[in-house]
Formats: sequence, structure tokens, C-alpha cells
Amino acid sequence: MTEAPPTRKLTIVAKDPGLRLGGPDGPMAFTQVSLPAEILAKGPTGYRVKVVDYNATDRMAYLDQQDYQDAEGNLLDPFAPGEGEDLLDPAYQTRLLADPNFHAQNAYAITMRTLGAFERALGRRVGWSSGGHQLHVAPHAFAQPNAFYSEPDRALMFGYFRRDDGSPVFTSLSHDIVAHETTHALLDGLRTRYTEPSGPDQAAFHEGFADIIALLSIFSLKPVVAAAIGEDGAVEAGEEQITLVSAEKLTVQAIKESIFFGMAREVGDAMGSGERKALRRSVEITPELGREMRTSEDEHDRGEVIVAAMMTAFLKLWMRRIEQLGRFVKDTYNLASVVDEGARLAGQLLNLSIRALDYCPPTDMDFSQYLAALLTADRELVPEDELFYRSTIRAAFSAYGIETPVQGCDADGCWTRFPDAGRLTYARSNYAALTRDRNELFRFLWENREALGISERAYSEVLSIDPASRVGPDGIALHETVCQYVQRHDLFGSEFKVLLGAERPEGMETTDRYTAYGGGVVILDQYGQVKYHIANRIFDGSRQLARAQYLFETGQLDGGGGEDRLRFALCHLERMGG
Amino acid sequence: MADPAPVKATIFAYQVGFGDCFLLRFDYDDASRRHILIDFGTTGLPENVAADFMLGVAKDIAAKCTERDGDRLDIVVATHRHADHISGFATKNGAGSGDVIAGLKPTVVLQPWTEAPEAPVDWEGPAGGDPVKAFAARKASLEGMHAMAKQAEDYVAAAKNLPHGLASELAFIGGDNIANRSAIDNLQSMSKERLFLFHGCALDLSATLPGVKIDVLGPPTLAQTDSIKKQKSSDKDEFWQFALRRFSDAAGSGNGSLLFPDAPRVLRSRLLTEQRWLAHRIDDANAEMMLGLVRSLDSQMNNTSLILLMRAGSKTLLFPGDAQLENWQYALQSELAPLLDDVDLYKVGHHGSRNATPRSMWKRFRKKNRKKTADRLTSVMSTKHGKHGSDDKHTEVPRRTLVAELDENSNLHSTEQLAADLPYDKIEIALD
Repeated sequence: MTEAPPTRKLTIVAKDPGLRLGGPDGPMAFTQVSLPAEILAKGPTGYRVKVVDYNATDRMAYLDQQDYQDAEGNLLDPFAPGEGEDLLDPAYQTRLLADPNFHAQNAYAITMRTLGAFERALGRRVGWSSGGHQLHVAPHAFAQPNAFYSEPDRALMFGYFRRDDGSPVFTSLSHDIVAHETTHALLDGLRTRYTEPSGPDQAAFHEGFADIIALLSIFSLKPVVAAAIGEDGAVEAGEEQITLVSAEKLTVQAIKESIFFGMAREVGDAMGSGERKALRRSVEITPELGREMRTSEDEHDRGEVIVAAMMTAFLKLWMRRIEQLGRFVKDTYNLASVVDEGARLAGQLLNLSIRALDYCPPTDMDFSQYLAALLTADRELVPEDELFYRSTIRAAFSAYGIETPVQGCDADGCWTRFPDAGRLTYARSNYAALTRDRNELFRFLWENREALGISERAYSEVLSIDPASRVGPDGIALHETVCQYVQRHDLFGSEFKVLLGAERPEGMETTDRYTAYGGGVVILDQYGQVKYHIANRIFDGSRQLARAQYLFETGQLDGGGGEDRLRFALCHLERMGG
Repeated sequence: MADPAPVKATIFAYQVGFGDCFLLRFDYDDASRRHILIDFGTTGLPENVAADFMLGVAKDIAAKCTERDGDRLDIVVATHRHADHISGFATKNGAGSGDVIAGLKPTVVLQPWTEAPEAPVDWEGPAGGDPVKAFAARKASLEGMHAMAKQAEDYVAAAKNLPHGLASELAFIGGDNIANRSAIDNLQSMSKERLFLFHGCALDLSATLPGVKIDVLGPPTLAQTDSIKKQKSSDKDEFWQFALRRFSDAAGSGNGSLLFPDAPRVLRSRLLTEQRWLAHRIDDANAEMMLGLVRSLDSQMNNTSLILLMRAGSKTLLFPGDAQLENWQYALQSELAPLLDDVDLYKVGHHGSRNATPRSMWKRFRKKNRKKTADRLTSVMSTKHGKHGSDDKHTEVPRRTLVAELDENSNLHSTEQLAADLPYDKIEIALD
């Protein structure tokens, strides 16, 4: 038997079936992607994803007729073009789109690809927030223009709907939507408290972050990006041909139009009125509009601001890289190099966006803290900002009204390192246990509560301990440990000032109950010493006041939360007219 | 001769289960009386009553309105078109409860502007300050809403395996929103005069109801506020058609064709074991989203409720129908808001649901207190437990915390507390 390969190829629709290559009548963009190799069961069902193709509207389940491996255990791509076909063949494409099994495999592949992006960025296995190992995926769950990650159901449910002419539109065929909903399932596992009622930024972050991941993941599908930009002739170079693209197609505005706008958002377009079109709008948002939306009461609007800032940074950095490429005749570039640079950069920003999560406080986070986390995550990896990533990101966020926090950051906008970690008591902690055992870590925090500013009156709990491995600037592997803890304090409105140090929000009664949260991330370096302590302290009057005010105004003071199936719905009820 | 002055208000709060039916009587200093019927409907009758229960209520109303010479039913108010507010107006070949009311020939019928029958679909409501007498078929959208409600009922009747709470709420809201054609027609034809009202409109009823000043706090027109518009999306006329289609699709009753007619499949009753756990949950999720659509329809309709504030003698009476927060918001920010400070009698909004008694409105009531003062606020609520909302989601109607608050700070009358053999609660308020 031959040695098992580490990866396999599967065919997916790139972006969505609305994207046509070379014009509205051109072929759809299909592509093959690399995934972890595994022997799949029917569904397909693998070690992290279980597809159940049940349709609640038609009250039936479609049977999986595909073989994902042959009798010898060789991994197959059941939807690869057959003999005499290629990926652009119209008959081949039509056949795939009409086959529910292909939709099932498409959703499986994009879910696994998104999971892979997280695991690669963080250098560790990442769990679904629902707790199981296998996330259910229902590619044709119901005839509704909606899709969501439902934690209580441990599932991604993708709906479909019909256009006026009766033809169906499938959310499970949209790369953006599948990647977006998968991101919810992962982010919710990494930062479980971000779904608690807090401030408007935190509520918006889930949506914005999921859009960032969905958009950046597209750029690794190079043929799609190349086709979207379009070509302008070619030159011979020895035996090879170099496809050229003219410089005028490579301005920020032109790229926005060709790649972001040009990729038809089939689902958004077909949904018509009253629905969310976040992926379309975020790249259109100007800094002026962004600053306005930054303070919008609408959480979705707010979420789009970080998407716009991140995409602006991406486009600026990409343009800078393109300028450094060699030019050909008539002001043209080598299209393949342009696309390669974009893919590499998008991959790096994707990693960075995900790694930044390790540097975000576990409760009540806001966009400025995410910005500091982005900058810190980058500096940890690349101490000198020679490629201007950090300055570009910081400038882009600033243009959209997002500055790094006033407190806790250094001049570069990165979190300051924990000062004199030496004054902490390590003597009673066992290093090996500290990086694995929540009780051991809690003991360490408790014994150092004064130095760390952890309240002993609030109830505290260690949420997670995760290893973070990466290659340091000198090429040597570094192992750090990321620990999250939270604190809660239950009080009445009348105690607000005494305990939290701020007047209680207007309208809050003395007898209203309020739960204040705080907490932090402690990052231990390779010696088990505290390197960063990134915290939102519980007794922070102005933060608690802002949070309480927001909860009061949005009617969430008495909790909200709970198990909510539709929390991550693509179309939230209020957006459907509710 | 000076107009007579009202000296006493009597409210007969009929026990109609889950619904509203209030007969308001004013006694005047010249011994004459005036009668106003505010809503007459139910969607959940009290326990163990006969099928013609509402006819009996209608006859009792008729008796009260004709008790003495010169008595009559002067005004009918239909706050909005939900069944639990208007089902009693339905006619039945001359023998229905609505026929009895029509026989009383009320002088004027008051309804929200959204009920005006001939207005264009995209009409945003009257721009001027006069009550305009004829508008509206927002006909297409109303028909869409009613059709969707009917489908919700049919869906629940046909679907099996839905969780009980979900199924009953879907069926209840569906039933409440179904068009009650004969009741609507009856309201259109029973009086010589119909007035379609909106926030702040000039309303002069002095000929019919001397000495009583009525201010209309809601509903606002769409031109006055975009809060109702927001709910409906920008495409006003198409929204409910669109929602209807989506609902039909989700219920499997719209398109009629299967998604993949030729794909190898198993029916729901024959699912593979590994599919079952999730399949049940997908069914629930589908129903939950349909419920979301139906709920938004329900709120939309509630927010067309008339909010009437009546001032007679030294007293102020507030009848807000089922108005929810979005309807109230406009009134609360308007110049009329200070009128709420002096409310003496509050008809509890939407049968005691949590979002129909906004905190900022409740706060204005000066006369609420725990001390049981002589001028203490009176509140009257018509409701029935277990019909609407759910305890574990804190959406039960009536909302427990609200009832406690009402009980603590006002003289609370609830039709639910009435002894089974009493047809109504009688509340008398001296107006001097």
C-alpha cells in the first residue's frame, strides 16, 4: 500500500454560481481545492463535518450516491470533470448544479477549508463552539432565504429560495455564506462570551469578523481572481506565455469593481428587498460614511466598518506590492504575479486576523481593542514593520474612526507587555501544569490577584488554556500559552456607584439587577512567565456605565442571551421585517 | 342652552376570554347618557361557554345601550383589525353578534387611518391635520398579510411533529390575523359616518359626545414617522406579497414542485438513523422562522392601533388598543405626551403583553402609587393566560412582572379575575 497523502482535492463553486467568467454569459467558476485527506463516510461525513441533506420543506432527505474513495483507499474527487470535459464545460457545470450531492460536497469542502484556515493560523486544533467534534451541515435545510450557525443544533443550516421565475438560489453554493457561517461556529468557540449582551461593537464584531474571513479566503482561489481581473494580451517568454494585465485595472477602485463588485452576489441580488447585503456594501463604504456608521445603533452597520477598514488595508498593501513588480510593454503587469501577490497577502492578513483573537479580551471587547490585537499579533511575528503592514492597517482603521485604545498600548498601538513580570509569584505553580490545567492556572491567578488587578470579590473562572505555536523571527519555533479568564459581579442599580465607581445609567432603577463582567487574556511565554495581560477589568466605571447604558437602551438588561438558534442567522428577524 | 356636562364614566369590561370588549358609558348632568363601544372581539373564549357566547355579549351591550329612552350606541371604536378586537362585529345572516351591534345604528365609527378603504397602495397617510374620511386599500398588502395568516393556520393543521408551543403560537397568531371579512364590512356600513384617525388629527365629536375631548395619540402616519415603515421595508406595497411568497415556499405550499424531483431520496418517515437527530431540528428551525414572519405581521397590525386619550370633567381615560412600542414611540416624543401625566384610567395595552406598556409611558402616570390614595390610577385589563407567548421566553401574555407592577401601583381590574358567572367587570369613575 502506498503512503497516505496528507491532502486531497475536491471540486467547489468558486464564490457563487452568479460569478461568470468573461462576461454575463460566460461559464461559471469552478475550482479544485486542497483539503485534509480522510476516508469519508456517506454524507459526506468526516472527522469534523457531518452533512445531513434533509429538506424540511419537501420533507425528504437526499441520498449520498458518491464515492469519495475507491476500494483501494485512493481518494477520489467525485465531481472532477469527466473524460473530455473541463471545469468550464457548460454541460458539466449544469450537471453539477442539478445534483444535491454536489451541493453537499461543496458545503463540506468550504467548511473544512475555513476550519483549516483557523487551525493553520493558530497552530492548534480549533473546536466548534457547540462542543461536538463533527459539525452538522444541512445544505438544503428549508425553502427560506436564510442560513445560520445554530449552536443548540450543532449545525450549519443553509436555506434556498426561488426567484420570480421559480428557479432556485442555494445559499450552500455561496462560498461567502458558507465561510461566514463557519466562522461564527469557530469564533464562538474561541471567544464564547462575545455572544453575551455587552456593547454595540461586540455584537457587531461577530458579523464583521465573519465577513473579513469570507472575503479574504476568496483570494487563495487564484484562477477566479485572475479571471475576475481579466487579461490584456500576452507575451512569449521562452516556451511559456505570460498573461498580461494593464495597470489601469489595478487601481483600488478598479479592483473593488472587478473583484468585489464584479463577483455577483447571487444570493444578495436575488433576495431583493429588505435583506442584508453586507458583502456588497462594506467595500463601498467610504471613510466618511464609515465614521458615521461607527456610532450607528445598528450592529450590522457597525460590523461593516471593520470589514471596510480591513479591505482598505488589504487593497493598499496589494497595490504597493504590485507597484514593485516589473512592468511589461504598454504599462502592463504579469497577471499571474499580480494574483500571486494578492493570494499571499490575503493569506497573511487572514492568518493575522485570526491570530489577533488570541490577543483580544474575553468580554466586552470593542473594535479599538481588536485593532491593538491585530497590531500585537503582527509584531509578535514580524518585529520590524518593513513591509508597512502595521502602519497601513492602523492608518486604514483610523480613517474609519477606529483608533487603538488610549490605555494599555504603546506608541506602535500594540498592547504593552506585562511590566516586570518578575514581581509575580511563580514559586507555587508548576509550569507544565500551568499550561494545561485550569485549576493550576486559576491558583496562579488567584495568588497574584493583586498584581494582576483581579478582583477577589467578583467570581472568577478560567475559561480556556490553549497552546499557541509559531515560528519566531529567528526561525526558531516558539511555544506560548493563551489563557482566558472571566469575572462576574452581581449587583443592584443602587450599588452601581459604590461598587463600579460610576453613576448608574439614566433610567436604571435602584432595584434593577445588573451583572458586571470583566476578564482578561494572560499570555505566558515559553518560560511560563506572563508576557501579556490584556484585560477589561471588572471595576472600570466608565466601561461598565457604557455597557449598562447600552443594555438598558436595547432592553437587554435582564439577560437576553440564552440558547438562540437564530443568533447567527444571515437574515435576522428584524431585517426580515420583524 | 349650554351643552350637558359628563359627570360619571362607567366602564363595562366584558369577559370575552382573550380579546377586548369595553362599553363606556358617560352619564351627563341633564340625566342623558352616551355610549361608546371600544372593540368587540375574542380569539379564545372563556372556559365552558356556549358557542353563541358573543351573541349574548352583543345582546347585553344592546340592552345597556337602550335601557332608557334616548339611550343609544353613539360611537363604535375598532382600534385595529385583529380578530381579538373585531370578531364580535362579524355578521351571520342577520343573526350574528355583529348584526345586533349594527342594529343599534351607531352614529360614528372610529378606526385608524390604515383602515381607510380606498387609498392607494403606497399611501403614507394623511398629510394635513384633518381626519380624512376615505383612503386606503393598502389592499394588496392587507390581502398578502391575511393570506399568510391563513397559510400559517393551514400549515400547523397539516404539519406533524412540531413542538407544541411553537405550533400553538403559530396557529394562534395565524388565526388572529386572518381577515374577518364580514366584521370589516359591517364596520364599514353600520354607521353614517366613519372617521379614520391618526396622531394629532383634529377630532370634533362635540355633537355626539359633548364635554369629552378626545386626543388621538396614535397611530402616526408614515409621513409622521418612519418607525412603521422600517418594519415593512422600503418596498411598502410589495413587502407582504414578498413575505407571503416566502412563507408559502417555506410551508411547501407555494411553488408546488420539488426541489430535486429526480434525486434519489428517502421520505421523512423513512429517514436513515443518522439523519434523524438533525432532521427534527431542521423542522423546528423552519417552523421557528415561519413564526418569526408571522410575528412580525402580528406586531405590524398591532401598531396600527388607535390610541385614544379622553378627557371628561377632571378625569383622563386612556385606551391604547394593542399599540406596541413602535406606535407609542411617536406619541411619547410628541407634544401630546404630557397629557399622559394625568391618566386616571388605563386600559392595559395588548392584554398585558410586555411590549405594549412602554416603561417611558408608564413612568409618566403621576397617579400610580402604592398608597391607595383616593385619586389612584385605575387600570383595566382584558386577557386570558396561556393563549399568547411563552413563560420560558418571558413573552407570556399577560406578562407576570407587568401584572405585579399594575397590581402594586394601581387599582387593577382584570377580566381574568372575574367570577365565572359574571359577564363583566363594572368600573365607575366620578368625573368631578
